[in-house]
Amino acid sequence: MRHVRKTIGQSLGIIALSAALAFGVNAMRPDGLPLANAASKSSVQLDSAAGEISIKDAAMLFITNRAVFLDARSQLEYEMGHVKGAISLPPREFASQFQDVKPLLAGKEAVITYCDGERCPLSINLAKHLRDAGVKNVYVLKNGWTLWKAEKLPVEAGGKGGAGMSRLPGALAGKTQEGICRDCEN
Amino acid sequence: MSGLRELVVPWAALAWLLRMAVGGLLLYASADKIMNPQDFAVIVKDYRLLPDFLVNIVAIWLPWFELVLGFCLFTDWWRQGALFLATALLAAFWLALIVNYFRGINVNCGCFSSSPSDDAAPMLWYIGRDALLLCLPLLAYEAGRRARAQDA
Repeated sequence: MRHVRKTIGQSLGIIALSAALAFGVNAMRPDGLPLANAASKSSVQLDSAAGEISIKDAAMLFITNRAVFLDARSQLEYEMGHVKGAISLPPREFASQFQDVKPLLAGKEAVITYCDGERCPLSINLAKHLRDAGVKNVYVLKNGWTLWKAEKLPVEAGGKGGAGMSRLPGALAGKTQEGICRDCEN
Repeated sequence: MSGLRELVVPWAALAWLLRMAVGGLLLYASADKIMNPQDFAVIVKDYRLLPDFLVNIVAIWLPWFELVLGFCLFTDWWRQGALFLATALLAAFWLALIVNYFRGINVNCGCFSSSPSDDAAPMLWYIGRDALLLCLPLLAYEAGRRARAQDA
């Protein structure tokens, strides 16, 4: 019993001493944290003006479940493999499918569009459609699919799109090549 | 035979060595967090286990708590309390990592560095490493107990 009392007493002493030191030094240092506010910044810093997001930041938002990923490629490519949990929304299907997708965007810090290839315009077009429809915090992950796979981040295959879309665009046969833009206009 | 075994196991020295290891670990862990409280607050927030109003308070206090614990273990000052709290702290870290692993949240550990880019590894690695670290104060406690029994 004496041993337990001694342990508790010493523990309380250590807690009190560390608290006095911590808050005392924090009050004196110029870069001290405010006590009342939570850290407002996250390890992911999003720049709305730029409209693009790095693979590192996209990955961080993915693993902390703070973003929804929209796959702008064709349904066929989506079914062959996509970012885990991503929703298929090709820009050409935007008008018909956006209402199904819209509820899934609520409550997320970022909506990230991606396609494949450095010059692929699909993700940019989709981002533009989304912004025009009033969606905020839309970011383009340039060359997203290739970078995502290169980083060995979680992927999945099959047609499980969040909005349950299953339409296949017609002429999408042929081999695909990583990093090369498919469905590009030029 | 059992008397001979007790003679050859220097429990007191082993307990001291383990306390030094835990103390050194805590002192090392506290340094970067004390230098960069803003970055450490971001890591605490990313664990998503605390309400917002506690994030900064914990981010300010925890590194100093580690520092004082490390100092106590190093100097043998308030040894029992320090060993108990070090065990509780490492167990709390370990549980926090396990909870986030099962929630599917892959956090930056923030164990020895407050930089988001450093110290990035799979969650299972962190969980395994913290389990091993948790063994240190437990072994130190047990070695101390046996050393006292040896003296008696």
